[in-house]
Amino acid sequence: MNAGAYGTPQPRQPVQQMAYICAAHLITYPRLIIACGSENTIKPREPIRCQDCGHRIMYKKRTRRMVQFEAR
Amino acid sequence: MPSTFRTLEREEAFRNPSNKKFGTPELQEVVKPHLESFDSLTKFGNGDTGLLDLAVKDIGHKTVFDGVGEDGLGNKITYWIEGISIAKPAVNVRDTTSLHREIYPSECRERLVTYKGRLQATINWRFNDGPVNTELKELGQVPLMIKSNKCHLYGLYSKGLIERHEESEEMGGYFIVNGIEKIIRLLIVPRRNHVVAIIRNSFQNRGPTYSPYGCSIRCTRPDQTSLTNTVHYLTDGNAMIRFAWRKQEYMIPAIMILKALIDTSDKEIFDALCQGDTKNTFLTDRIELLLRSFKVYNLYTRESCLRYLGDKFRVVMDVAEDMTDVQVGEELLRKAVLVHLKEGRDKFNLLVFMIRKLYSLVSGECCEDNPDSPQHQEVLLGGHLYGMILKEKLFDWLTSIKTQIRTDIRLKSSKVDFMNNKYFTGVMSKVPSDVGGKLSYFLATGNLVSNTGLDLQQATGYTIVAEKLNFYRYISHFRCIHRGAFFAELKTTTVRKLLPEAWGFLCPVHTPDGSPCGLLNHLAHKCKVVNEPLDVSMMPRLLASLGVSQTVLHTINRPDYVCVQLDGKIVGWCSIKAALKVSQSLRFWKVTGQHNVPADLEIGYVPTSHGGQYPGLYLFSTPARMMRPVKYLANGNTDMIGSFEQVYMDIACLQDEVIPGISTHIEFTPTNVLSIVANMTPFSDFNQSPRNMYQCQMGKQTMGTPSTALNHRTDNKMYRLQSGQTPVVRPDLHNLYGFDGFPNGTNAIVAVISYTGYDMEDAMILNKSVHERGFGYGTVYKAEVVDLSDLRVTGEPIMHHFGLAGGVNKKVREKLDEDGLPFIGVQLKAGDPLCAYVDETTGQTIIKKYKGPEDGLVDEVRLIGDDASSTELQKVHIKLRITRSPIIGDKFSSRHGQKGVCSQKWPAVDMPFTESGMQPDVIINPHAFPSRMTIGMFVESLAGKAGALHGIAQDSTPFKFNEQNTAADYFGDQLLAAGYNYHGNEAMYSGITGEELKMDIYIGVVYYQRLRHMVSDKYQVRTTGPVHNLTMQPVKGRKRAGGIRFGEMERDSLLAHGVSFLLQDRLMNCSDYSQAHVCRLCGSLVSPISTKVASSVSSRRNVECRVCNTSKGIEVVAIPYVFRYLTTELMSMGIKLTLGVKP
Repeated sequence: MNAGAYGTPQPRQPVQQMAYICAAHLITYPRLIIACGSENTIKPREPIRCQDCGHRIMYKKRTRRMVQFEAR
Repeated sequence: MPSTFRTLEREEAFRNPSNKKFGTPELQEVVKPHLESFDSLTKFGNGDTGLLDLAVKDIGHKTVFDGVGEDGLGNKITYWIEGISIAKPAVNVRDTTSLHREIYPSECRERLVTYKGRLQATINWRFNDGPVNTELKELGQVPLMIKSNKCHLYGLYSKGLIERHEESEEMGGYFIVNGIEKIIRLLIVPRRNHVVAIIRNSFQNRGPTYSPYGCSIRCTRPDQTSLTNTVHYLTDGNAMIRFAWRKQEYMIPAIMILKALIDTSDKEIFDALCQGDTKNTFLTDRIELLLRSFKVYNLYTRESCLRYLGDKFRVVMDVAEDMTDVQVGEELLRKAVLVHLKEGRDKFNLLVFMIRKLYSLVSGECCEDNPDSPQHQEVLLGGHLYGMILKEKLFDWLTSIKTQIRTDIRLKSSKVDFMNNKYFTGVMSKVPSDVGGKLSYFLATGNLVSNTGLDLQQATGYTIVAEKLNFYRYISHFRCIHRGAFFAELKTTTVRKLLPEAWGFLCPVHTPDGSPCGLLNHLAHKCKVVNEPLDVSMMPRLLASLGVSQTVLHTINRPDYVCVQLDGKIVGWCSIKAALKVSQSLRFWKVTGQHNVPADLEIGYVPTSHGGQYPGLYLFSTPARMMRPVKYLANGNTDMIGSFEQVYMDIACLQDEVIPGISTHIEFTPTNVLSIVANMTPFSDFNQSPRNMYQCQMGKQTMGTPSTALNHRTDNKMYRLQSGQTPVVRPDLHNLYGFDGFPNGTNAIVAVISYTGYDMEDAMILNKSVHERGFGYGTVYKAEVVDLSDLRVTGEPIMHHFGLAGGVNKKVREKLDEDGLPFIGVQLKAGDPLCAYVDETTGQTIIKKYKGPEDGLVDEVRLIGDDASSTELQKVHIKLRITRSPIIGDKFSSRHGQKGVCSQKWPAVDMPFTESGMQPDVIINPHAFPSRMTIGMFVESLAGKAGALHGIAQDSTPFKFNEQNTAADYFGDQLLAAGYNYHGNEAMYSGITGEELKMDIYIGVVYYQRLRHMVSDKYQVRTTGPVHNLTMQPVKGRKRAGGIRFGEMERDSLLAHGVSFLLQDRLMNCSDYSQAHVCRLCGSLVSPISTKVASSVSSRRNVECRVCNTSKGIEVVAIPYVFRYLTTELMSMGIKLTLGVKP
C-alpha cells in the first residue's frame, strides 16, 4: 500500500444513476385511469419519489443482461 | 350441445371488466357482516349518526374542580367530546409533491404500512357555566376497513378496482396493518337483551348462601357496548342482582334496585312478582321473604334507596364531585342496570320478569336455557368491537385529561388557571392522544387492552390474518365464527357439540378436527347477520291491536298470562293462546310486508310446556343476529328467520316432508345449511360425513390461485398453482361465487387399480408424462424485506445506504446491480448475495445473503419510500420465486378427503392403457375406498368422465339424486351414449407386458388438488452436522440441519429385537462418541491429567492420575460425551463417581 492512497480522498466513483418505474396508477380527469409507469432516474441518496406524480413506490426494471440458467 | 363452462363469458369479463356491476355479486355478500358493521360506525340506520356518535354521547361530560376558595369545591371545568370524525386515508397535509392526495389500499400493501385515516374529535369545554369553547383535536390515525364507506374503494366495481391494483371481485372487509391483511374475528356472544336462566355451580362461589341458580341478561346500549346483569338466587329465597363495573363485581339486593328504579310500594312489587298467582305458595313465600328481608336496610322511599346506592358507589362511578348522592344513584342505575332500557318503569318490569323467571327455574317450572345453543347466541361483529374499543379509548383519553389537571393542581396549583383557555388546551396537548395507534395495536396483535373488559371473556385472539393461500381459505376467514378462547380450555365437550338449533346458521360439516373442533364454526352460506336497526316504532300499537295488554298495571294480569317482549323491553302480557295468534299474525304481516313490520324482525314464540323453556313471546329487532331465508308456505315468499324463533317453527327440509296444517315453511334448498366451502365438495351426500369435514380442511390447504393481482401483493409467502383448471364436476354455487377466477386444482384421469406396488397406504402414482406436461406445477413466492432504518440509531442521520462501494468482488456484481439490489430474473442459491448496503461509518459494503435452502429467482424488487417521500431509500421488498414442480413426496388429494402422497413418477410407457389408448394421469389404490366409503369420489369420477366426453360441466350439487333417480343411472346413461361402459369400468392393458388385465378397471376424471405440504419444506436428513457444544450430541431441528431424536421407544424396540450393535451405533457412535482417560486404580474419570511433554522429540503427552500420582492405572475408554458432563455435574454437587474398569 502506498502512502498516496491514504490522506487524499479516493476519487469518487461517477454517480451511478439508476432507472426505476413508478408503481402508481393515476386518475386523470374525467375518471380516466392510467398507470403512471414513468421511468425515474434516481441518484443514490435521493428520496424515492416519482418526478411525475410524487408516488412513493418504485419497481426495479428487469435487467438487460442475459439471464441464462442451466437447462435440466 | 353448447358449452356449459362459460369460458367465453368469463374471458370477456376479464378482458372488459364492468364499471357498473360485479361479475359475481354473491361474492360481495360473503363479507357483509364485517363491512356493514364497520359502516355502521359512521352511519347507523337512515340518519346521519353512526355508532361512534352514539358512543360519544354515552361517554358524556367530565368535570374537574380546582378547589380554589375557602368553601366547597372551587371552580369547575366541564369538558366533553361534541363530535367525532374519521377522514379517508390521505397523504400528509404537508406533502406538496403528490399528484393525488388519496392513499389506496394497494399502496399500503406494497409499502407495508397501515391503511389508516385521521381521527378528529371536536372537544368542548366550559368554565363554570360560562361560554362553551371548542377545539378540534387530532387523535392519531385509525386503521380503516377496505371497501367500507371510509375507503377510497367504496362503490367501485370490477373495472375501477382493477385500475386501482385490486382484485376484480375485491370484497374488502379486512384491515391492512403493516401491509398484512387482518380480520376481526366474528365471535359468539350471548343473545342481547334476552333473559337466560342458568344453573352454574360456580355461582355458589360468589358468597355464602349463593345457589347455582341465576338469570342473566346481556344488555346492549345503543352504541353496541354491552353490560351483563345477573340475578342470583340465594338459598334462603332472596335475590341479588350482580353486575361488573370496570372488571369489579358488585352485588345489590334486587329489591333495592326495584325500589330505586321507580316510586313504588311493597304491594305493587308483590303484585308484579306474583302476577295474581297467589295459590303458588313457593312464589308467594319467596316474595314475602324478599320484601321482609329488605326491612333491615330501613330504606322506605325511592329517594332513600338512591341516596344509599349513591353513597356506596360514588367513588366507584367516578362522578363529578358536585353531584348529590341521589344523582349518583340515578347515574348508577342508568349506567349499570339493564342498560338497554331508558325508562325506570321498563327496567322495573324487566327486573320483575327476571326474578319471576328465576323463581320458576328454582321451582322447576321451567328448565335452564342452554347458553351453548345458537338460540341464545348472537354474533359480535368486527365493526361493533372496533367501535367499543374506540369508545373506551376516547373515554380513557378524557379521563387522562382529568388526571392531568388533578396532578397539575396537586403539584403546582398556582399554574392552574381554569379561566385561561390556554391552560386547558395546554393540558390537552400534554396528554397522550394517539387513539389511532391503540387501534392499530389491537388489529396488529389481536390483544384487547381494556380497563372495562368490554363485557368480553377473552383478552387475546381477536384478530386473524387473512391468508391468501387459496380462495377457499381466504373466503373462509370471513365466514368463520369462534366460540371464544375461554371455551377452548374447557375440559367438557358440551360447548363443542353440534346442536340441532344450529341448523341453517352454522355449517355442520365445516369445522376443523382437533383442538378447535366445534369451537371454530363457519356460517352457512345463506346465513346473514343483521346489521341494520329496524324500525319497530309501530310494534306497541300493533301488539295492542292484537290483544296484548299494556304495561301500566300488574294487578290485571292473570297467573297464566305470558309476557310479550320487544328487544328485552316488556310491551305487555297476554294469554299463551293469544300469544300464538299474535305471533302468527305478525309473521304473516312480516312476510307480506303489511303494517310496515320489518322483514328482519324475529318473532320468537315459546309455548307453555311442562318444565321446558320459559314461555312468552319474544320479539327481536336488534343488529348482530343470525338470520337465514326460508320459504313461507302460505304464499311462497321469503321469510328471514332467526336462530331463536327457528326452534319453535315447523320448517320442512324437502317437499315430501311437508305436513299439511303443521309445516309453515320449507327450505329453499337443503344445501343452504352448508358453508361455502362445504358446498364445493361434489356429491357430498354420497360420502361418509367425516370425509366431507376432511375435504373442508384440505380444500383450504390447497395450492391454488391466491389472487389475480399477484404483482401487487407483498405477502410473506404465497403458493400458486400454475396449471389450474376449472373442474368438470362442480356444484352450481361454484359459478355463483366465481371460483373459476381462482382455480384450485387440475382434472386428472384417475384409475383405481393396484398396479405398481408403490401405491400402498394412500400413496398415489403420477404419470411421468403428465407431470412433464405441467400437472400440479406450482410456485412459491417468498418475500424478503430489508429495512435499513432498523439499523439507524435514533437521532442520528442515516448511515446505511443501499449500494455497492468499490472493492466488492466480481461474484457479487454478477447478482447485484450498482444500487445494491439484485438484478431481476437472476437466480439466487443459498449463500448468494441478496442485497448490499454501505455502512458510512466504516465505509464497508455489507452484503446480505440469501439464506433459503432452495434456489430462488428474483421476481420483483420494490423500492419503498417513506410516508412523506422525503428520505432516501431505506426499505426494499424483494419477491423471490421458487419453482416447485411436483416431486415424489408431495401431497395431493381429491375433493373427498382422500389425500395421498406421490410415491413414484411412473414412466408413461409402463402405464396401463385402455382400449382407446387412454392412460391414467394418476393411479390410486382400491384399498382407499372400502373403509372410507367416499362414494362421492366414484360418482365424481363417473360424472367427470361423462362430462369430459360430452364437453359439458356436470352439476354436482348434493341432494339432487334419490333412490328412484340415481346418480349412477344418470351418468351411466351419459357414458353409454358416448360409447363407454355404463358403470365406468374399462378393459385395460398392462403397460409392461401388453397383456389385457383380467379385471375391468374403474377409470374416470377426478379433480385433484395439490396440497401445500411438500417434501421440500419437510425433509430432514443428516449424516454428520452441528452438535450441541455441551453434550456433543447432534442438535435438533430441521432449520439447524439437526437430527431426529432416537428416543426411548425406539431404543426399546431395538432392545426387543436384540440388535444391540445397532443400538450402540445409534446412541453412541453416531451420537456423542468420545474417548476418555480413566484411572483403573481409583476409578475416577476426572482425575487423569496430562503431564508435561515427555520429550522434545515427540509431542506425546503422558497422562497421570492426580489422586494416585501414577500413570499405571490409566486406560482409554470409549464413553458417551454426556457421561463426562454428568460426572462433572455430580462432582460439583459433591458426589463422587467411580468406574470399575476391567480389561
